[in-house]
Amino acid sequence: MGALLKVELTRLRWRRAVVLLLAAAVLVPAVVVGATAWGTRPLSEADLASAESDFGGRFLRQEVRSCGRTPEFYGLEDVAAAELPEACRLAVVSSYAGRSPLDLSDSLESGAMLVVAAVLVLLLVLLGTTFVGHDWNTGSMSNQLLFEARRGRVWAAKALAVGAVGLLVALLVSLACWLALLAIASSRDLSAADGMLLDGVEQCLRTGLVAAGAAFGGYALTMLLRSTVATLGVVFALTVLGGTLIGVLGGQETQRWQPQLNVMAAVTNEVTYYDDSGLEPACLTGMARPRLDCDATQRIGAVQGGSYVGVVLLALGAVSVVSFRRRDVP
Amino acid sequence: MSALVIETSGLRKEYTSRRGGRRVAVQGLDLAVPAGGVHGFLGPNGSGKTTTIRMLLGLSRATAGSMRLFGEEVPQRLPSVIGRVGAVVESPKFSPHLTGRQNLLLLARSISAPDARVDAAVETVGLTGRDADRYRSYSLGMKQRLAIAATLLKDPDLLILDEPTNGLDPAGIREVRDTVRDLGAAGVTVLLSSHILAEVQQVCTSATIIGNGRLLASGTVDDLLAGAAAHRVVTPDPVLAARVLRAAGLAVTGPAEDPGDHPGDHRAGHPADHPGSEPDHALTVETDDPARVTRVLAEAGVWLSELTPVRQDLESYFLALTADDTLGGR
Ligand SMILES: Nc1ncnc2c1ncn2[C@@H]1O[C@H](COP(=O)(O)OP(=O)(O)OP(=O)(O)O)[C@@H](O)[C@H]1O
Ligand SMILES: [Mg+2]
Repeated sequence: MGALLKVELTRLRWRRAVVLLLAAAVLVPAVVVGATAWGTRPLSEADLASAESDFGGRFLRQEVRSCGRTPEFYGLEDVAAAELPEACRLAVVSSYAGRSPLDLSDSLESGAMLVVAAVLVLLLVLLGTTFVGHDWNTGSMSNQLLFEARRGRVWAAKALAVGAVGLLVALLVSLACWLALLAIASSRDLSAADGMLLDGVEQCLRTGLVAAGAAFGGYALTMLLRSTVATLGVVFALTVLGGTLIGVLGGQETQRWQPQLNVMAAVTNEVTYYDDSGLEPACLTGMARPRLDCDATQRIGAVQGGSYVGVVLLALGAVSVVSFRRRDVP
Repeated sequence: MSALVIETSGLRKEYTSRRGGRRVAVQGLDLAVPAGGVHGFLGPNGSGKTTTIRMLLGLSRATAGSMRLFGEEVPQRLPSVIGRVGAVVESPKFSPHLTGRQNLLLLARSISAPDARVDAAVETVGLTGRDADRYRSYSLGMKQRLAIAATLLKDPDLLILDEPTNGLDPAGIREVRDTVRDLGAAGVTVLLSSHILAEVQQVCTSATIIGNGRLLASGTVDDLLAGAAAHRVVTPDPVLAARVLRAAGLAVTGPAEDPGDHPGDHRAGHPADHPGSEPDHALTVETDDPARVTRVLAEAGVWLSELTPVRQDLESYFLALTADDTLGGR
């Protein structure tokens, strides 16, 4: 098994498509972090002045005053009274200028780190697929089986190689991105909330696991369908049409089974979404009685998201290995 | 342990088409290949040779019947014997973007063979100097050579070659023939499937001929040809001679046949004596006893002007045997 695993790692290394995908898995996240850094760069005096002149003085000054009265609406409740006028001016003008400072918590839940996770998942599905799709397309799978006839082992060695590379790459890339964001924040004297560093590291771990799962899923599905094109078609259909189908079928609380939401929950620890299908009809007619619970916000936690992803991958893996062991190999 | 290296009994393979139809590729095949020597495995296109070989190697599943390699039940015990079997199945199948050498390295390492064996194999098949080129830049003959090199990585006791000379130039064909003959002489059992029967006759000690997935004949090449011995008879009155010989229970073919007596009726008839291929007055009598021909004809007062043994070759024997089994004849 050790020899087989080494062979599969070498095969991965020698596949040009795999190398290109790995390069993309480093470069695209780097661009995402770079773009975030640029998009949240602090406003200079010149920026402030030009924004103020662009948006007209009176209206702006009015809002700065209202910020001084109710700083909590602007997220400035902790700012000392002496610094409030300047802080308010900054907050109001930058919101007019469409540029707010780097928010680490946001970038974990919905910003850069979530985009990085999505990019990694996508690229690693492609990696798992193209790695073994090539063996099927060229027919070299049968040649490999003439040297190791235990198909279960061949399947497992390839799965392990793809999963391990996926985990390593996703973990390292997302950690690097997170550390870069932290460094940017500290270079701009933005204070990070307590435990933020650890939250981020935990999210990187979850990203690594989910992305490794994605690589494995792409691999297992391709071993089942024996074609890169067919696999990509199915993945596309599942993510796009599957979500639509769930939406169209309606029924109560079906949103809960959307694959994207669950994957997101597994990465970010919690996802909230809006689903009013489970509410009392009275809520929707606007004639709600006082104590009726009309909150349509639902949440999916990391445990549900993780279990969802895990069960899907386990089932897929089982079907894939059984099919590979039984079916004729061309 | 049986002395047979390959043994099948009642081997059957059915393919089901998408439309639900069934095609029987191999039906009740009993194959017995003794240890040592080169064994020809012959049959027209689509007769089931490749299918049989693929079942023996565990690439495809038998519908019924049993198989043994080195006395071990396959596919159940295949992993324990596959290390002793080198095989080329149909066209060579390697990764096109890897070099010939890289392709061999991956296979060698998967069985923990030293890299040095790759160099030796490359040298043996005459690919030295081209092994660092990408496989997709190889000519057909070079691909075949690489496939043969791959079989040598294992130092096999049994070599299964499915049309190994396909695409080779005359020098390459001779090299493969010499390699096969040398291996056979060195104690390696070779199962050689080929359509070039002159080649097969030169290197094979024994042969099996199948048609339509069924066994047609099997044995040493000498025995196969002896059973089909014939004599060419020239007399002044071929019509009378044919009648006399048939009355004596001998199978006769020739130009003066009675209506309704056409070559297809004689499964072991000789294509060499198809009408038109001989002078008008010549007959062919299927017997290895010329004295009997002389006596029968003399007793009837027919005098021989010529009696010569017909030199039978494997090709004519094969063509006669499989006359009904060609693809068009279904
Ligand atoms: N994967 C498959 N699906 C359906 N039918 C198949 C498949 N593979 C082979 N067959 C059929 O099985 C029969 C035997 O084919 P096989 O390839 O074993 O012949 P062969 O003796 O190797 O012929 P050739 O000399 O042309 O190589 C043919 O009728 C073929 O059409
Ligand atoms: Mg064939």
